[in-house]
Amino acid sequence: MGLRMYIGKRLVYSVFLILVIVMLNFAIFKMMPGDPTAFLMQPWSKESPESRRAHQEQIRDMWGLNETFWVQLVKYSRNLLTFQFGDAFINRKPISETLASRLPYTLVLLGLSTIIAIIIGVLWGITVIQKRGSIFDSASVVSSLFLGALPTFWLGLVLLLFFYGQLHWFPNAGAFPREWAGNWPVPSTLNLQSSGSQLNIVYSFSSEGFFTLIGGYLSHVFLPLLTLTIFFYGGWLLLTRATMLETITDDYILTARAKGLTEKDVLLKHALKNASLPLITAAALNFAFILTGAIITETVFTYPGVGTWIWEAIQFLDFPVLMAVFYISSIAVVIANIIADLIYGLVDPRIKYG
Amino acid sequence: MSKTQSKFAFTMRRLGHFLVLLLRKKKSAFGLAIIILFAVVAIEAPLLTPYNSLGEDQKERFFPLAVGSAAPTWLRYLPTWLGGNPDLSENLVITKNSGLPKLVEEGGEWNITTEGEGVSHETCEDVGFWSAPPGFRTYSENGSLEIKFDRESGIAYNQSKVFLYHEFYYPFTGFLGRFIGNIELFVNGSTTHGKLDVPITVTVYLGHLDGKLWKVWPCPNEAGWSNAPIGFALDEYRQPWGIDRPESGLAGAPPFGDYGWIISRSSTASVASHIDSESSSLVNNKTEFRAGRYPQRVIFSTPGMYVYGVEITFLDQKSPDKQVETSVFIDDFGLLLQGTSFGLLGTDHHGRSLFAQLIYGTRISLYLGLLVAVFSVVIGLAVGLAAGYLGKFADELLMRITDVLLVLPGLPLLIVLVAVLGASIENLIILLGVLGWMGFARMIRSTVLSIKERPFVEAAKAVGAGPLHIIINHVLPSVMSLTYVSLATAVPGAITAEASLAWLGFYDPLRMSWGRMLNGVFEANAITNWWWVVPPGLAISLISVAFILLGFALDEVLNPKLRLRR
Repeated sequence: MGLRMYIGKRLVYSVFLILVIVMLNFAIFKMMPGDPTAFLMQPWSKESPESRRAHQEQIRDMWGLNETFWVQLVKYSRNLLTFQFGDAFINRKPISETLASRLPYTLVLLGLSTIIAIIIGVLWGITVIQKRGSIFDSASVVSSLFLGALPTFWLGLVLLLFFYGQLHWFPNAGAFPREWAGNWPVPSTLNLQSSGSQLNIVYSFSSEGFFTLIGGYLSHVFLPLLTLTIFFYGGWLLLTRATMLETITDDYILTARAKGLTEKDVLLKHALKNASLPLITAAALNFAFILTGAIITETVFTYPGVGTWIWEAIQFLDFPVLMAVFYISSIAVVIANIIADLIYGLVDPRIKYG
Repeated sequence: MSKTQSKFAFTMRRLGHFLVLLLRKKKSAFGLAIIILFAVVAIEAPLLTPYNSLGEDQKERFFPLAVGSAAPTWLRYLPTWLGGNPDLSENLVITKNSGLPKLVEEGGEWNITTEGEGVSHETCEDVGFWSAPPGFRTYSENGSLEIKFDRESGIAYNQSKVFLYHEFYYPFTGFLGRFIGNIELFVNGSTTHGKLDVPITVTVYLGHLDGKLWKVWPCPNEAGWSNAPIGFALDEYRQPWGIDRPESGLAGAPPFGDYGWIISRSSTASVASHIDSESSSLVNNKTEFRAGRYPQRVIFSTPGMYVYGVEITFLDQKSPDKQVETSVFIDDFGLLLQGTSFGLLGTDHHGRSLFAQLIYGTRISLYLGLLVAVFSVVIGLAVGLAAGYLGKFADELLMRITDVLLVLPGLPLLIVLVAVLGASIENLIILLGVLGWMGFARMIRSTVLSIKERPFVEAAKAVGAGPLHIIINHVLPSVMSLTYVSLATAVPGAITAEASLAWLGFYDPLRMSWGRMLNGVFEANAITNWWWVVPPGLAISLISVAFILLGFALDEVLNPKLRLRR
């Protein structure tokens, strides 16, 4: 079986997975107690029971709740596959719109924290490997285990307590200073200038506005970033240490040392290169958590990403939002799995497909 | 010795050796010590704290133990540079027995002074409620103090005043958190045309002995109470300041004739006789407390002698040719002072003991963690054994289901399911158990695949053993070591998941878990109260790490080969 066949098989499997996820969403929706139209009915209104029933029936018709099971299933699947999640209960706005506005915040936060965590974790792991068996080694392992076992929201709360409550170094909520509302710093402007018969588009960049904007954002994103990095780096440290431990005892390392290579060359060019495959796959699989990895952390800092949105949805039991987030994050996992499989197939020449 | 006995002895000996082996390792000894400590705390919780984590007393009535978000008491003695605050105040029980206001000469704590003629007092039957107001201590001394005004006919009318008071020392430099007083009155007397011959006014005072006495009850805005002489009339009993006729369903209403009224705690105005510094009528009392919105801070500003008492004025206005009398029965008269600090860890925003919540949270975490571990391990074991041993179609089907469940993102799925099914602890246990077995099942399957090919399984088959017999008697014992490890390592994930969901707002309303405590921090916006933020998270982390370490140690002891291969 060649690479193409392998990829094809994975893709077919992924499509099957997505269909299963859609079915599961539908099943959960069907499992919900009560009538989904009930929350629109106002129990205190003075309309008669008959007209209310008719009214409710009308909504059920509009939402397709009176269709047969199979028609509902097909329509539901079609809407999910085309990312039409309907309107949120809270603000009656399309869910995909809100999702699109919230997503960049989460992506930046999680992307940054993952990159920083990988850099710190891998570098630390390599340092630890050089001194394996020492107190530094065991201290690093135990501390990353402990930090990984902490509940993220508590870690965030403690950081907030210290840096915001005691030291007042960082703000406690949001992504930008509150006083900017209506008066945002402007990083760049586009102006139309007419000189004679010609119309010029003049792009002007204001470095002051740019740095104010970035600085305002960084001061807000620092604490969530720190929380996530502390939470993530331990896993990378342990993974690097474990894979390096495996390669460093191999014979070719001994050969490299015997050749008289420096320890740095041995570690980075021989050991790390061969140990990097699991690291790369793990990084690819990390995409799976790009949406859900920060739910808890965001809520601590009221960071305006997907997590805080979920938190708001939970307070109102806004089912459509919760289910949309579940669906989207499942899709993210499936995609991450495909990417990991592809990387595995492309990077490692030793791999056999099948 | 019979066979079973020797078998039992062997098992015990083996267990003993195993424990010794486990305890020799630093990791597992540390982990086991912490787990045992938490288990003892969970079991002995009622011995460690007298309070309920939901702030209920023995009769399941909610009662705040101190002011909301109170600090721990020991902060008073900490130097300020360490975060201490000597200006905190503590709870004070001012009146030891609020059941019967006993006078000093009878061994009690109340003083009485009278002004004018015709007033006498004596101990009488109980007129208050059977149950004391929450938070008040009422011992078996039931009864009430009767204050009687009596004027013979032919004597000129007069006005008489009685002041029943209790002096106490307030030792704190800082202000008070809250004061809660209670008084129950029963008024009885001679009447004409349904109105009392001698109306009364009642005022409860509280204040510094050398300073101002503040009227704390009734409030001026509780219509007509403070200024006008009040004639109790039958048609007035329904009015909102709360005078109930004894026959209106009050337990223990005394048989004192037709013209009695109890000014009650449970009447239409809910605070009618409940004196509370946080009651709206007192807080918004502009005439008395202009200085601030906190009566307790205005009244209790410096340490010193304070007085709490009730003044009863008999307004005799009838013509002298009639003999008139009015009796006032005072019952359940008392005062509680709640400080700005409480107990070992202070209180949450509803005035519930945080220490009790921490202690009782141990129970929930262990209960949930262990049950989820058992659930998920049992499911994983069943699936893994079936898939591994049966192979073929069963294997394919079970492994595909496992794969799908592994792909689903855990937290969003949990959120959706909990939102649909409700967030009781039992639901959570089932959900976490059902969603947590996949990795373990895979591990078991791969182990079973190799065990299946071993000679002893073949031998069993040759003797004619069925698949069920082989799985239970030959395969299962070989995977038990994996099972023990997984039992230990499944616990922390479950505990953290519960805490995360509780933090997000999905908590069991009937139980107080560590996660819900942290949710309260956010709800009360009390991020700077480190004594509230730190302990629950530390407990979660400690118990998680303890189980992880135990799992590692078990892994090392039970699967030496596996360990080497890794």
